[in-house]
Amino acid sequence: MNIIKFELLKLRNKSRGWLGPILVFILIMVAFPLTVEISNKDLDQSFFAVLWIAVLLVMMLATEDIFLEDFNDGSLEQFAISDISFPYIISVKIFIYWLLIGVPISIIGSLFCLGFTNSGNLAINIFPILLITSYIFINVFSFGNALSLTKGSVLGTLVTLPLLLPLLIVLGKAVISINLNLNYLGFVALLLGVLSIIIFLIPLIISYIIRAHLE
Amino acid sequence: MQPKVKATNLSYKINEKKLFQNISFELMAGKAIHIQGDNGSGKTTLLKIICGLTNQVKGEIEKKLDKQICFLGHKNALKQYLTVEENLSLLNIINHPDLKQHLIEFGLDKSLDINLSSLSFGQQKKIALLRVFLNDSDLILLDEPCVGLDTQSQNYLCRFLNDELEHRKSILFSSHISLDINSEKLNLSDQV
Amino acid sequence: MYQVDRAYSYIFYVSLVLYLVSIFWGLFVTPEDFVQGNSYRIIYLHVPASFISQSLYIAMAIASAIFLIWKVKLSAYLVRSIAPIGAITTFIALISGSIWGIPTWGTWWVWDARIVSTLILFIMYLGLISLHDSFSNHEKADKFLSILVLVGSVNIPIIKMSVEWWSTLHQPASITISDKPAIDLVMLYPLFGSIVGFAGIVACLVILSSKLQILRRERNKSWIKNYV
Repeated sequence: MNIIKFELLKLRNKSRGWLGPILVFILIMVAFPLTVEISNKDLDQSFFAVLWIAVLLVMMLATEDIFLEDFNDGSLEQFAISDISFPYIISVKIFIYWLLIGVPISIIGSLFCLGFTNSGNLAINIFPILLITSYIFINVFSFGNALSLTKGSVLGTLVTLPLLLPLLIVLGKAVISINLNLNYLGFVALLLGVLSIIIFLIPLIISYIIRAHLE
Repeated sequence: MQPKVKATNLSYKINEKKLFQNISFELMAGKAIHIQGDNGSGKTTLLKIICGLTNQVKGEIEKKLDKQICFLGHKNALKQYLTVEENLSLLNIINHPDLKQHLIEFGLDKSLDINLSSLSFGQQKKIALLRVFLNDSDLILLDEPCVGLDTQSQNYLCRFLNDELEHRKSILFSSHISLDINSEKLNLSDQV
Repeated sequence: MYQVDRAYSYIFYVSLVLYLVSIFWGLFVTPEDFVQGNSYRIIYLHVPASFISQSLYIAMAIASAIFLIWKVKLSAYLVRSIAPIGAITTFIALISGSIWGIPTWGTWWVWDARIVSTLILFIMYLGLISLHDSFSNHEKADKFLSILVLVGSVNIPIIKMSVEWWSTLHQPASITISDKPAIDLVMLYPLFGSIVGFAGIVACLVILSSKLQILRRERNKSWIKNYV
């Protein structure tokens, strides 16, 4: 319980940590139609391409400070020697970041989807995919940021982005199936499967990495 | 009686350079050890090894503890952008009955709603020390607890730690100045 | 160490000769392909390079696991020394694939699953190198590198299966262990020879580069001073 209170109090006083990424997401979604011709009827085709890349980038921004601040001021040190299991603390941290950034972005993304494609069905179907995807992204980027903890987030992104590219292919396929009214539940199941593995493995790996950093 | 911490032949190497070799000691309940040594002799590393933060070590270390370790290192685990009160509530000691008395003793009782970043280094150190004062662990590890403290607070810290020894707690601290605490000496520089 | 030196120079020359013979055979002796004409002959570079680039990653993953589980320092050196060689072979695979693409597909690049995943592999190799080089503490760097290699190895089956899972332009692999080869035996023998030869050459490069790694990292140890 204490760790949840800790993260929330921290983020309440540091709105750039969670509000910033959400605003960047909105700005990207607003800015991209300006770059193509307004009358272009294919806008909804490129919409999803931009949506996934925007989610990817924003999740990358969101995790930038997830461990660095606590590492620098010694809070991670205290967590590491406390009785509470360290992977649990890390998974709670990631969950709270997802709750504050991933969930709002999923809602906003679905709303934009409604606005761009005028299809309520599509917007409703894309919402769970956005939720799952943002959680996967935030986990993997947290892993990257833990690796490059003191070396800046560019390095972390560089090494983890290649891991996520196959996922982007799956997301593209899922959108096509929804568009063609095919059964897309298979993709949701696949994403859920990936998530359920990641949700246990990543906190374990991150705790190992951070312990190495603390040495 | 079993020792709280028992170290046998601890050695530590960093980048092929030996920091210390064959350090052995036993820490009983109600005793304190003062770790001394030159700069770079491995005082902080030894404390981190006892915490379990650092692993690469030859030799054995046994801990018989009922509660979690209380450790205060160079980093004070405080949030600069929060107020003193919020920081204390993050440390889970805001409702402790003894808090008021310690705050008065440190002269911080009127600065609860001040942002931590506007406090001086010594004052921040005092807030960090409050966690040590209000913990209920049976092993206290302090890494240079007196850096930045005025004489008055140093004396208060020593009085408090002596008091804790009476309550059968064990203390390990590193300090380059001598403190008025009933302790055995462990000099890392001598042993190389 | 001295025996290794001698053995590895033998392996190097044998592999070089094998590779050159296979290429000569492949280029001048085997007949033209019915569909692709003479352009298919680039497979004697392309197939070994792409095969080895993935195998090197698997080798890295195994070495990383050995390092993380049993703390064998030598395998950490091996991981670090394979990374640049893997990057180069992946690059060769990409370039030769592009050159092959011009006569067969009419374009040097397509956004097809196999090619993109090979490009991802290339970027992964570069990322691994830059991760390791950004830490001055080698012990830490070795640990992080091994973790990343292991986590990244989830991409290898995806790269392998990409041709089957997604309908793409890239042709399925010509030789597999289980099935009958999809190409004629006349072409298969030199191809097989070129893969073995290429593998031998790369193996020697890996040995050479790990020797350099060992010398650089252990330069303060007494046994190195005796050796040099």
